[in-house]
Amino acid sequence: MTMELFVVFLASSIRLAVPLLFAATGEYVSERAGVVNMSVEGMMLTGAFGGALGAAMTGSPFVGLLFAVVFVLPIALLQSVLTNTLRANQVVTGIGINILVLGLTTLGYRQFFGNRSREMITGFNAWSPPLLGDLPVIGPIFHQAGLAYLAVAIIIALAWFISRTGVGVALRAAGEDPHAVAISGVPVIALRHGAVLFTGLMAALGGAFLSIAEIHTFTEGMTRGAGYLAIVAVIFGNWRIWRIVLACLLFGAATALQFQLPAIGVQLPNALLIMMPYLLALLAVAGLVGRQIAPRALAQPFWK
Amino acid sequence: MNQGAAVQGVPAPAEKTEPQPLLTLSGVGKRFGEFSALSDIDIAFNAHQAHCLLGENGAGKSTLCNLVFGIHQPTSGVMRLEDAPYAPANPRDAMGHGVAMVHQHFSLINELPVIDNLLIGKKFGRLNRKAEAEKITALATEFGLDLAPFEIVGDLSVGQRQRIEIVKCLMQRPRLLILDEPTAVLLPEEINSLLDVCRRVAESGCAVVMVTHKLAEIARVADRVTVLRGGRAVAHSAEPSNDMDALVRAMISREGGAGDNRNFGVSALPPRNPAPHRGPRPEAMQIDNLSFVDEIGVKRLDSVTLTITEGEIVGVAGVEGNGQSELGSILAGLSRATSGRWFAAGREMTAAKPRQITAAGVGVIPEDRHLVASIGQLSLADNLQLGRMQRFARYGLIDRKDQREAASTLMQRFDVRAPDSQSAFSTLSGGNQQKAVLARELTTPNLRFLLAAHPTRGLDIGAIEAVYTFIRQAADRNTGVLLISSELDELLAVADRIVVFYRGRIIGERPASSDNRDHIGLLMSGKTP
Repeated sequence: MTMELFVVFLASSIRLAVPLLFAATGEYVSERAGVVNMSVEGMMLTGAFGGALGAAMTGSPFVGLLFAVVFVLPIALLQSVLTNTLRANQVVTGIGINILVLGLTTLGYRQFFGNRSREMITGFNAWSPPLLGDLPVIGPIFHQAGLAYLAVAIIIALAWFISRTGVGVALRAAGEDPHAVAISGVPVIALRHGAVLFTGLMAALGGAFLSIAEIHTFTEGMTRGAGYLAIVAVIFGNWRIWRIVLACLLFGAATALQFQLPAIGVQLPNALLIMMPYLLALLAVAGLVGRQIAPRALAQPFWK
Repeated sequence: MNQGAAVQGVPAPAEKTEPQPLLTLSGVGKRFGEFSALSDIDIAFNAHQAHCLLGENGAGKSTLCNLVFGIHQPTSGVMRLEDAPYAPANPRDAMGHGVAMVHQHFSLINELPVIDNLLIGKKFGRLNRKAEAEKITALATEFGLDLAPFEIVGDLSVGQRQRIEIVKCLMQRPRLLILDEPTAVLLPEEINSLLDVCRRVAESGCAVVMVTHKLAEIARVADRVTVLRGGRAVAHSAEPSNDMDALVRAMISREGGAGDNRNFGVSALPPRNPAPHRGPRPEAMQIDNLSFVDEIGVKRLDSVTLTITEGEIVGVAGVEGNGQSELGSILAGLSRATSGRWFAAGREMTAAKPRQITAAGVGVIPEDRHLVASIGQLSLADNLQLGRMQRFARYGLIDRKDQREAASTLMQRFDVRAPDSQSAFSTLSGGNQQKAVLARELTTPNLRFLLAAHPTRGLDIGAIEAVYTFIRQAADRNTGVLLISSELDELLAVADRIVVFYRGRIIGERPASSDNRDHIGLLMSGKTP
């Protein structure tokens, strides 16, 4: 592989990893607080739909982002009320929401885009930051949509928040031993609601990235399991933010290989590469890639 | 244990200047449904003093603490904190009033460092761990507690974790500090330093309330003692070291425990006339030099040797926590002795699994029937035949009709009352559940030895009488019985002889006669006359 081709590969790996980074970072927060959000897939799909709709209607991708967030928050709220207030099974409700959302977005897509489904919608264009973008050889790596830089900023801020603030510590603790946290006078349920809503916000951004920054259109079920992949990244990253970021980049690279390998003349069935991240995840969940230490109270509803 | 000896480094109890009552309880009672856990409690907890609550399990000590800390609310009576009425709605409310509690079960997050645990719920913004740690360490040192603020809690010993819990309470600068059985989890050498801390906290002007059933600790730490029994305060002492004998008597005696009518259950039993026998009887069970050291290194059983012959009922008396539970657990096959051996009907059982122990003809009525002896969600019939389902198997399938009939027979024989044998076990009353467990264990094939640990705990009078009638019938049919109970009167009425456990050892033995009641009481407090 030539250097140029390799740089293209790196750039597309990052681009493909960005939606995962958003969603996985969101999922990380709620899992740290003790809630598994299977519905992150549905949230991303809704975000993608909302983003496309807003951008198509107004021609502004920023309105698209706003739509994405506004569409996803009620879904996050539904998930949060079901699991935190009504203490329903987190996995079952999450999958239920995903199926519901698939139906809703498909219906919405046919309503709004039906006859102009081939049209490209106005989205975010890639942009090169000054200095970094001008670097020789590796400059193209930094040629990314602005949202990618937003993701990086959010992740750095979040890492600081979780480890250096009282709320961050309480959030982590709520996923380990919510009773102890409650005894210390922290409202656990409110904390968990907040964590799930944050996941919704992040999933909305990740979904919108897919539809308005990458593909510039919406298609039925277009996330194709990206949300599940985000959950997998959290597990693969062993519930630690920097490892989760690495997992997302790895999964992005595996996807990018699909496009790169044919270009350099390696004939490998495409399906084999698509299944790679999932295979890695299965190995990780089975405990074959390091030891997985999940938050102790993960997926357990909190009863006073 | 040299009771009453001054502990080094512990300042002598403060001079008895006029103590000021901080929290006063008048006529306080608490009912849970029909069950009266506490009644007519009048107590004053004074600032600058350590007040011990003494009593057996179920005497109401924990309930009393929970009322003061706002976990439960009293059903009668009033509490006053200084001069204002005090009725905490929840623990947060209690903490707002300056009341803090160290629970028996810690509420620490093992995955986090000590400092994070201490700051949860107190600081929400940016954490300056280093500065906070310095402040907290200074506070801890003031009370003689050493603290390693950056260690991960999960890596620390139980004693160190308890210190964190105490520091967590002290950070609120409490006016009243409650400690619920704080020494139960500690190593002997850690106990002294904890009592040390309690004294310092009291001297700082705080009222300290400590629950315990260890008498030696009282002499070391307490300015005042209240003995609870059957939900009532049956004795007070402002000079505990001098009143030790009276306190023990109050703790175990039947007088004064007016709410405690359990003894009628045994007083209705006819006196026992051991069947006449000729020559020496064969041994039903033999314990040879058994010791047990628990996972934190405390010696819970210390060289216990005991033989029970067929047809004999031996009672184990002792203040709770002196090794009885550990003995029961070893004889049930749930834990293994650290050293020594034991035999059932002549066969060595030291390393046997519960199934092998049952097969050797040992019936077990464990301390906790919900956890160990039954499965609440299964039917009564299934519970009556746990472990022997294969008896009803036809070509590998259970013949339900056959099983139901067998269950009905057992229900009739042991007077287990339930709508029918298919009722879920958890829907039965406590008495009927226990009778069902007895029915199963007493029909163990070739029953030679029965272990009964607190078989009447939580039962009503009728059920107590039934339980002991069945146990005696088993003894009359030549089963040897080891009966562990904290109810001395029941032991006196049911057993043939009584051995007394103190600090994991048998420190004395007496025939079970009410003439020996005071003598046994002394043995229970660790005094060998």
